[in-house]
Amino acid sequence: MWGEGILAGMRITVRNMMREPMTVNYPHVKLELPDRARWAVAAKYDAEGKPRCTACRACVRACPHHVLVLDSTRRKKGPKHIDRYTYEVGACMMCGLCVEACSFDAIEMSRTYELACLDRKELTRDLLRDVDAAAVEQTNSPKPKRPAGRKRKRSKTADE
Amino acid sequence: MSPRAAEHVEHTATGRMVFDVGSQHPSTHGLLRLAIETDGEEIVSAEACLGFLHRGIEKLGEHRRYHQLPTLMDRGDYLSGIHGELASALAVERLRGIEVPPKAHWLRSLLGEINRIASHMAWYGTFGRDAGVTSHFFYSMRDREALLDILEAVTGQRMTFNYVRPGGVIADLTVVAESKIRRFLRTFDAHLDEHQTFLGGNELLQKRLRGVGVIDRDSAMSLGLTGANLRASGVPYDVRRDRPYAAYSELEFGIPIGTTGDAMDRYLVRIEEMRQAARIVRQCIEGLPEGAVMAKLPKALRPREGETYACVESPRGELGVHLVADGSETPRRFHYRAPSLFAIAALEQMLPGTLLADAALLVGSVDIVPGEVER
Repeated sequence: MWGEGILAGMRITVRNMMREPMTVNYPHVKLELPDRARWAVAAKYDAEGKPRCTACRACVRACPHHVLVLDSTRRKKGPKHIDRYTYEVGACMMCGLCVEACSFDAIEMSRTYELACLDRKELTRDLLRDVDAAAVEQTNSPKPKRPAGRKRKRSKTADE
Repeated sequence: MSPRAAEHVEHTATGRMVFDVGSQHPSTHGLLRLAIETDGEEIVSAEACLGFLHRGIEKLGEHRRYHQLPTLMDRGDYLSGIHGELASALAVERLRGIEVPPKAHWLRSLLGEINRIASHMAWYGTFGRDAGVTSHFFYSMRDREALLDILEAVTGQRMTFNYVRPGGVIADLTVVAESKIRRFLRTFDAHLDEHQTFLGGNELLQKRLRGVGVIDRDSAMSLGLTGANLRASGVPYDVRRDRPYAAYSELEFGIPIGTTGDAMDRYLVRIEEMRQAARIVRQCIEGLPEGAVMAKLPKALRPREGETYACVESPRGELGVHLVADGSETPRRFHYRAPSLFAIAALEQMLPGTLLADAALLVGSVDIVPGEVER
């Protein structure tokens, strides 16, 4: 019968009208983020409150959009000194490649998702500033030195 | 076609009128401008003007290392990020000769199908909006929300996942995600029936969709249409079956095809595709093998000189990636075959002769994502 489908649709509308709402009243109610949620990058600290970063720049190289900038000073003795480790949160796409690249567990994708700010300057954040980097622990045996006089060959087309 | 003169009205211009639909009209699903020439209510010609969403993804790809490519592909077709990532990962794996662990194959299929339903749900919601229906949009978002929750639990993000990488996937399913998938599957078939009754069963909508925007078999093939748009015209071409990738050779699923190639067929094909996708998800979750999810790879990928083309069946059709490698860490050329681009060509062909009120409906019926058209 013509019109049966329209009536069936109306029944569905009424049924849906009667059910519980499926939305939550943000910001009064907040949903729990899953464990793997990736939001703004944050620095991690050890038990003494010192940064775990060794200023190796693996994250800087891994970032596709160059949102991480790390300025450090090499010193004659001891670990490097981090002058500034900035993070452009406005340009970050939260892909997580920097955290995957970090071998020292020094940064994490935090769960801070309320990233709106009133001033665009706040979009550039200092992850670390003017601190000593962590020392690279020699847990692995040091790499064997190349024999002197032999240059390391690296052909451009070779597969690694 | 002669201009239709309004009767009883003198000195009234009755010439053709050209005007723009878009670029920010909600029915254009992104940023698409259609320059439409009308004669009264009837469309005489239509021209799609592109470029409002161009981000230079192909050029950017030439400056990205191979394992960074998925981050770009996520943002091409943003409704089905997994498929874009998968296409780029498959291309890199083919170039480099990487053996992917079986579990990663199955996870790729599983997440791909979940993403397909999520994408089709977005299409279903917006398509009805184009027809003037509102409430079903919220019902479709209810289901899409459940799917995005699953995707977020597995990948960490809701739309731009960066989950599928050359060599496998980054993470295994979690217990929470698996229970979420099972919970979703328990209710989905009933929900899909409800969607189909609500929109597809509506006689008024059927009347508007039947015989409108017909693309016949031959012109669909010559236009290069793929995906649901091609299958609605009666061509049973599906990359998942014809050039199997991931775990699709081990999975059972039907390929719905249409007969006439009108807007109603395209609608029905997509609805049935969701049902088949749920069937694949069910098989994947039951048959998921054990083992690693990522192959052991060096930190820097340097494939040998050469080129390759890899394609996947995205919700919009054959999404392909053509990679030319020169032996360095970045591709020399990175091309992205976007199925929506061909759908826009079909749209230009099907719009003339239809009524202006149907223009938005037809844009919705071919399911385009301007993000991947202009990349």
